[in-house]
Amino acid sequence: MKIAISYPPIINALGQKAMVSQNRNVQYFKKPTYLLPVIHAQAATWLKQIGFEVVWDDGNAQLKEFQEWFEDLIKARPDIVVFESTTPVMQFYWDLIKSLKQILPQTVVIMTGYHSMRRPDETLLESPTDIVLKSNHIDFILVRVADFISKDPDWRNNLDVEGLQIRVDEESIRSTGSFVQVEPLDKSPVIARELVRWKDYAYENGNFLRTPGTYATSVLRDCMFGKCTFCRYNGPELTFSMMSVEKSLDEYEDLINNQGVREIFDDSGVWYRGREARQFAQGIIDRGLNKKGCYFGINTRFEYLDEETIKLMAEANFRFILLGFEAADDETLQRLNKGYQMEHVEKCLTWMTKYGLHPHLTIMVGYYWQSREQLDLTVRTVRDLMHRGLARTLQVTLCTPLDFTPYHLECIKENVLLAKTYSDHDMSKLIVKTPVPHDEYYAAVRSMYAISYSPKFLFRQVKFLFSWRKRDWEFLFIYGIRALRRVRQHIFNLTQNEGTTAN
Amino acid sequence: MPTLKVIDNRALSDDTYILRTERPLASIKAGQCFSLGTSDLGINREYSMYSSAKDSYVDFMIRKVPEGRVSNKLSTLCSGDEIQLSGPYGEFCLPEDEIQTSTYLFIASGTGIAPFHSFVLSHPLLNYRIIHGVRFENETYDKEAYSRDRYVPCISQPNTRNYGQRVTDFLLKNSFATDTKVYLCGNRNMIVDAIEILRTKGFSGDSIFTEAFF
Repeated sequence: MKIAISYPPIINALGQKAMVSQNRNVQYFKKPTYLLPVIHAQAATWLKQIGFEVVWDDGNAQLKEFQEWFEDLIKARPDIVVFESTTPVMQFYWDLIKSLKQILPQTVVIMTGYHSMRRPDETLLESPTDIVLKSNHIDFILVRVADFISKDPDWRNNLDVEGLQIRVDEESIRSTGSFVQVEPLDKSPVIARELVRWKDYAYENGNFLRTPGTYATSVLRDCMFGKCTFCRYNGPELTFSMMSVEKSLDEYEDLINNQGVREIFDDSGVWYRGREARQFAQGIIDRGLNKKGCYFGINTRFEYLDEETIKLMAEANFRFILLGFEAADDETLQRLNKGYQMEHVEKCLTWMTKYGLHPHLTIMVGYYWQSREQLDLTVRTVRDLMHRGLARTLQVTLCTPLDFTPYHLECIKENVLLAKTYSDHDMSKLIVKTPVPHDEYYAAVRSMYAISYSPKFLFRQVKFLFSWRKRDWEFLFIYGIRALRRVRQHIFNLTQNEGTTAN
Repeated sequence: MPTLKVIDNRALSDDTYILRTERPLASIKAGQCFSLGTSDLGINREYSMYSSAKDSYVDFMIRKVPEGRVSNKLSTLCSGDEIQLSGPYGEFCLPEDEIQTSTYLFIASGTGIAPFHSFVLSHPLLNYRIIHGVRFENETYDKEAYSRDRYVPCISQPNTRNYGQRVTDFLLKNSFATDTKVYLCGNRNMIVDAIEILRTKGFSGDSIFTEAFF
């Protein structure tokens, strides 16, 4: 049986490609970042291990045009095709699946992803999709589903794997209930790099200072906090689970020694903390992997790592630390259930900078309650942190309700959603009513990105050079040039609707 | 971060204690958690509420974790000391419209009993049974809060000549109505093993709710 795990190239009217990948808000870019969809890659690996023929079919990362990608998929004639959904591209997917099923009616189409898992019936009604997965443990479910389908021709009636919505016939749909993850995450294999063509993702990614870089098999599935209202890692259907430190260390060792990887990023919603974080960093040092010229990066929260842990991580050659700095005002942080406070921010960034890590802030603007004062406070605070060298890089996004997160449901309930179709959720414009005109949020985006060009920021980067850390020199002379290109692109994408929207 | 006063710190054993703080102004549901820390730590951790949602204070049952910065620091706090507390967070709660009509099975390991203690105090008419996994007899803290016929301690290393019993042993040996709503809280491995047994006994994922401690 042949299974294709497929990411079609989705290109908008401006010729920009959609980045569609795990827990990524869809954004269109001329020069996109290619993100390895980690859980789907684990699923592909596992399916291959148990004997299925797997086609890793990422049209984006493989630089295909849509028509070329579509024709290749038809030629491959897979028995099963797996897609990953998110709100802004749902209409695209439904149309695509109709076209695909006209040509390959026997191919079983399985939809995964955060949008359809929360509205499974919608996708079955709007398209000839056969199965919707209602869990993001795609690897654990797909291996069972594929195995069952390969053995039982009457799978539409008999398939009993939990966590599915199945089209039985033209008239009826049935549910197999909720999927509850019970098996340890260690059971899912680490990613087979050649199978998923890891080098397609190794260069065009702003998280990598050194290339080739890669994403590690995530050590955490879902989030150990899991309560932020805007985040997809929030909901009763999500169950936090953790990979063992030793297994992750083994993968890093293989990536560095056998694949020649020079930067590894773990895109877990939140990486290890406390004892596991220290064990991991110590393990890197004990195995000598901190001396192999490879940097490491993670996502974390401001209040999760203490000074001793940060110091150890720096010694282990961690560099890029991505932190969600959603706002600077307490009301917004409370409404988002974010759980950090400004004193955590200051303390955590001070420790990280002291030991030479490169904190990266991800900021959002445009919450439906965000006042001018709150917005100004966020901009002022970000500017201050960047000028003082406490944060090295940043990215700003427009807070966009999607995938039926609690924030999305709240926007619907409060009747503040301006979007007319799902395609409007593409993060290119604000789609909620706000207390001040939208242009002020776009201006805030512009001014935060402009910090990177300010003399104070640049002077601070030059001062970092005198710490004589190699990474600071690389940051200024390699990453800086690359980042300037990306900053221009981000400003264009996020402010292209400036002056055009009424509020 | 909101700063409140500690009201009491009651040791239950060498490594476990009940920390009582002033109640924050927010609306609180039984089963929710708070993020706790102190101003000098720079880090915090989430703990489930142990007290009733209706109490004028908030209790937390905390076990000191070896190398655990927050749990060890909080254990030193005394009445009148300041504590940083934000929240509540989370949805590991009982739906209000089902409380009167549902039968509940609560399965906990160690301090994972905290949200169930809160459920029982907050909803006196609850139809429940608690299976509580602990290592020693003296870890069945505050068991008088539950009716004797509703609380089942599973002691894995008893001091007496009795054979040890784990939560999973009890689940394997007993039968349960499959329309029971099952809530599990505590150690991840216990949760994993318990769910596997529940599955073999006919429980579907729709009736199982989990909160893993880590």
